[in-house]
Amino acid sequence: MRRLPALIGGSVRRKTMGVVLAVAFVTLLVNALVLTVYEVRTYREARLVEARAQAEILGRAAASALAFNDQKEANAALATLKARADVVAAALYGPDGRVFASYAPHGTFTGDVVRASRDIVEGGQRLGSVEVVTRSGLRERILAFAGILVAVMAVALGAALLLSAWLQRVLTQPILDIDAAARSVIERRDYSVRARRTTDDEIGVLADAFNRMLGEVEASHGELRDADRRKDEFLATLAHELRNPLAPVRNALYLMRVAPPDDPSAIAARAMIERQVGQMVRLIDDLIDVSRITTGKLALRRERVEVGAVARSAIEAVEPAMRARQLDFQASLPSMPVYVSADPTRLAQVYLNLLNNTCKFTEPGGRVRFELALEDGMLVGRVRDNGIGVPTQQLAAIFQMFNQADRSLERTAGGLGVGLALARRLVELHGGTIEAHSEGEGRGAEFVVRIPALGAEPGEAAGALPPRRAGNGRRRILLVDDNADYVDSLADVLRADGNEVRVAHDGKSGLDAARSFRPEFAFLDIGMPGMNGFELARRMREEAATREAILVAITGFSQPADRVRGREAGFDRYLIKPVEIEAVKEILGA
Amino acid sequence: MRRFAALAAAWLALFTGQAGAQPLPDAQEHEVKAAFLYKFPAFVEWPSRPAPEVPFVIAVMGAPQVAETLRGLAEGRRHNGRAIEIREPVDSQGVNGAHMVFVGAAVAARLPGLARALAGAPTLIVSESAGGLDQGSMINFVISDARVRFDVAVDNADARGLRISSRLLAVARNVRGGRP
Repeated sequence: MRRLPALIGGSVRRKTMGVVLAVAFVTLLVNALVLTVYEVRTYREARLVEARAQAEILGRAAASALAFNDQKEANAALATLKARADVVAAALYGPDGRVFASYAPHGTFTGDVVRASRDIVEGGQRLGSVEVVTRSGLRERILAFAGILVAVMAVALGAALLLSAWLQRVLTQPILDIDAAARSVIERRDYSVRARRTTDDEIGVLADAFNRMLGEVEASHGELRDADRRKDEFLATLAHELRNPLAPVRNALYLMRVAPPDDPSAIAARAMIERQVGQMVRLIDDLIDVSRITTGKLALRRERVEVGAVARSAIEAVEPAMRARQLDFQASLPSMPVYVSADPTRLAQVYLNLLNNTCKFTEPGGRVRFELALEDGMLVGRVRDNGIGVPTQQLAAIFQMFNQADRSLERTAGGLGVGLALARRLVELHGGTIEAHSEGEGRGAEFVVRIPALGAEPGEAAGALPPRRAGNGRRRILLVDDNADYVDSLADVLRADGNEVRVAHDGKSGLDAARSFRPEFAFLDIGMPGMNGFELARRMREEAATREAILVAITGFSQPADRVRGREAGFDRYLIKPVEIEAVKEILGA
Repeated sequence: MRRFAALAAAWLALFTGQAGAQPLPDAQEHEVKAAFLYKFPAFVEWPSRPAPEVPFVIAVMGAPQVAETLRGLAEGRRHNGRAIEIREPVDSQGVNGAHMVFVGAAVAARLPGLARALAGAPTLIVSESAGGLDQGSMINFVISDARVRFDVAVDNADARGLRISSRLLAVARNVRGGRP
């Protein structure tokens, strides 16, 4: 039944009342009909039985009159019927059916009658028959019956009406209560309003759900207000922070206008302008990062990096500030190379951010420790200080955007309060976690960053190569170099030794060749146009098919920084041009 | 043919007495009396009930027409499940063992002697002569208002242990010695 008929459609109120009334009416009607039919039949039956009995008695009484043709006696017998007011006629018949005597006190009678006739038999002889006609009173009976039923139905329907009115109130009142609560919330924007739960039924469940939802709305409304407030404060602080450096810059510019260029004060002024502008640039860079993060446009350029290099760049950047504040700064890095899949610039930014913070929040003469270690497959970086610490209840809140732990502190330390929020987002994008620990104000703080580490290359620590493949000296070797003459001749030499050698003359085809050839060794020229050796090495390390190869960089650059870069890109060895064949063979054979 | 006519007349006689209670012109007196005789046993109780194979014996003396009509009425019928036998004895000996005896007017003089001979026996004696009840019969036919009627002597019946139904008494013209 998809839709209730229009009769009882409409509101819940009308529906419930309609259903109750319909049920009551149908029940009563069926009941009345069945009872009426039953009553009619049993009544008729009873009247018939009565009439038959009457006929029987009469027959016996009149038997002799009939037998011996005594009409007087027959009439006398019939006359006894006078006592029965409901008998309207009677007759005695001879054996051939002809009337012997009859009785009709009121003449012919029109109305419902019941006829009963019996044979009169005495001593085995059929003497004739008797018929008695009585008023059945069926019509009156039915009318009376119907009258009672109608009255009962009316009373019952009335009761049903009252019941359904009560029922619909029970049902609809709680619903209307919820509706009233909803309206009050909307009109007054008062999210603390709750609906009253008055019943224990499904509507009560609805009321509870409604209140939970209101609770959510209230909470998120509160959060929005807080966020809004923080944003306002942020804007105020931002304006302040941008304005701050401009005043001294203006003074410096004025000074430079009036003083000669090589005057010490002019030199100092230029230096100060540089510092302040640098400060502003950093501030604005942070802002740009923040905006990128909030709009989801911050993308990482992840590569396989060795964390030592990343850490060192952060350490270098913060050292001047540490010195300026006379802080005892020490760092310890892992003894073996640890690789992570990370954006080196951003990762460095995270560590730098934390280190800058410790600078800001540690008293001069304080101690700062920076430790990087590999623990359970995670790269764990800890920045510890014995500075002003963080109150315990704020340990989670300090990572919120625009949150500045303590307003008074913030005035002295400067900053927009976005650093930690930024750091957390960057760490999360790397698939890691960041935590703050502190025993309270004045008790120092520790920040811990965890990032999943990549599996180390076997034998990397000692610089040892993987053990030689068992069996034949036949190796699969890939050579990639844009200097065709050089690389082709090297390939011939290696083939003469029984190796299987493939050659590519640029990075792209080298990558394709590596995928299909799956070399055990790959010698990659760094300085190639298009995809250079570093890029090629990174890509090979990223793909499962080519990851296991031993990568050797061939390059003309020999600075240590280049070696670091090579390591970072994933090379196992570094050869300087011109490459001697012995060096190659040593790598192959080792 | 005669038999059939007699039978038809007798059946007609069974319900004489339309509104005017006039006897049907072709219902003969002997036919009415035979019909009455045929019905009397239904309203009389004999003291003992014999076995069903014993027939109900009606003796008719000095009324051959009644006997013949009775035979026609009783043919193929039963009284209380027993066969009906019509005898026409010529002397009192032949009456022994009969349950009902009709003494015709022709032999009315024999009534007292018959009553004496049957003294104590549960035999219903019906007569059609004046003073018959005084001479010992229980039921006596009379003609009253051109109709066949009868008188009943309950005391005579009582003496023989016969019970006559009050319904029969109700239609009798006169009842003698009735029970209260």
